[in-house]
Order: sequence, then structure tokens, then C-alpha cells
Amino acid sequence: MAEFDFERRLERLFSEAPDFADAQAFAERIERRLDRGWTARRWLIGAAGLAGGLIGASQLMLFNVFQRVESAEQSARALSLGLARATPSSDMLSVLSGGYGAWIAGGLAVVAMGFAVSRVIEEI
Amino acid sequence: MSGSNTIFTRQHDVDLCRLAANGERRAFGELVRRHGSGVRQLIRRMGAQASEADDVAQDAFLAAFERITEFRGEGTFAGWVKRIAARQYLRRLQRDKRLAAYAQDAVGDESHGGSAEADGRIDLDEGLKTLSPTERLCVSMCYGAGLSHAEAADALNLPLGTVKSHVKRGLEKLRTRLAPPDGVALDGRRENG
Repeated sequence: MAEFDFERRLERLFSEAPDFADAQAFAERIERRLDRGWTARRWLIGAAGLAGGLIGASQLMLFNVFQRVESAEQSARALSLGLARATPSSDMLSVLSGGYGAWIAGGLAVVAMGFAVSRVIEEI
Repeated sequence: MSGSNTIFTRQHDVDLCRLAANGERRAFGELVRRHGSGVRQLIRRMGAQASEADDVAQDAFLAAFERITEFRGEGTFAGWVKRIAARQYLRRLQRDKRLAAYAQDAVGDESHGGSAEADGRIDLDEGLKTLSPTERLCVSMCYGAGLSHAEAADALNLPLGTVKSHVKRGLEKLRTRLAPPDGVALDGRRENG
């Protein structure tokens, strides 16, 4: 028999594997492991998102964001009274350009980072 | 088999891979059902015990699921997973320092050679037992996992010439072991299938 024929025959013999009796159980075992890994990953993603959200929210609360929102509302009201008198944009700018603005931006950045980390973990 | 799995049994491997790439784990389970035995058998043929072969095959399938987007359907899914499994088994051998021991055993090793039982039926598994561990690895990797000699040499961390020698000697032994004395069809199946 030519060498080439023997090699082809050998490849065919290698590819002819009978199904094992526990083939179904083997597949189910792998499915279970995949499910377990998926569940763990979802918990991890959820936990990362929650942690990021909590950190971001705490930053917003700590630096009195609600008060800032109220002042923004007041500015908006002032704007409705007359542009000549009220300068809400400059009010907002003055708020944001102070220390508070930096903290709010930091908080939002943490939230964004939480989402980004969650996304990266999901991709991995 | 559950009803949700039944829909996968009629699908082609490539379609199942696409579904698995979208996170459909039941589709991947169907692929495991189809090709699990082949992968486990290959690792056993490379010389692993049954339980170790199952562990390696399991890890290989899990790795394949993680890397399923890399499978482009250019070859068969079975071949792709077998290559992953073969490399994983080699890494395990290297980690346990068994590969080096195999290489040393292989020097001048002719003790495994056996005579053909010549019962007219090919028994590849019995034939492989007549090979030295390294010959067995090389032959299984090249003809079972579909690696080229160069890829096998790279995976085994052996010179290309050494791998070629192992393959050549392994083939000679297998030919002796598997060939029937009267030259009839080796496996009792059709000659040119």
C-alpha cells in the first residue's frame, strides 16, 4: 500500500471514534460548568456595576447635588423672568467651576468607570 | 434530551458555533455531544488514562467555548477542538515533566513493538500501544489532531527532524501492526472510502 494511502487510512481511523456510553453525561457536565461560569460572571458584573453605582451615588450625595439642582432650578426660573436680569448659565458655571463641580465630575467619572469595567468583564 | 436541545440536533456545526458565539450554551452542548467522544478518544490515543483524557477534553471544550469566535469554519469544528485538546494535553505533560521522561524513554526504545494479531480487523488503539510514548504522541498529533510536523515539533518543543523520525518509525510500526497478512482491506470496510 502506498504511503499516502496508508496515511489517509490512518487519518480516517483516527476520526472514527465510537460514541462513548457516557457521551450525554459528559456533554451535560460541560453545560453545567458553562452555566456555572456564566452565573458567576453575571454576579461579578452585577457586583461591579452596583459598587460603581454606589460610589458614584455617594459622591453625588456627599457634595450636595440636590442643593445644586435646586439652585439650577432657581436659575431656570430667573431665566424665564428675563434674560437681561437673570444669568443662569453664569450661575451654573460658577457652581461648576468651584470645588463642587470637580467632585460631581469625579462622581460621574466613577459611575462611568463602573459601567466600563462591567462592560470589559462582560467582554472577557 | 430536552425539547430546547432538540432544535439544535438538526443544525450544522457551523451554525451551532455561531449560536454558541452569541452565548447560546445549549448549542455548544450539542457540539460537545457530537464531538466529545472523538476528542476524548484522541487524548486516550495520545497516551492518557481515561479520567485524565476526560479532564483534558473537558478543559479543551471550555477553552473552545471561550474562543469560539476564533473558529471561522475554515476547517471542521472537531478538528479545531482536537488541536486545542492535543495542545492542552501536551502542556499538562510538560507541566508534570512527563514529556521529558517520554523523550528519554524513546531513545532506543523498541520494547513496545508487538507482532500483528492479524485478525483481519484494524484496531488502531492496540496498534498505538506498540509505539513508544513519543512516537504515539507524534503520530496522534499529526494524524489525529491534524497538526503539521512543524506544528507538532513546536508543540512538543522538539526539533522538526526528531518529530519526523518519530512519525516515520511510528508509521512503520503501525503499518506492520495493522496490515493484514493477505493484503485484504484493512478494516473490513470499503477500500477507498
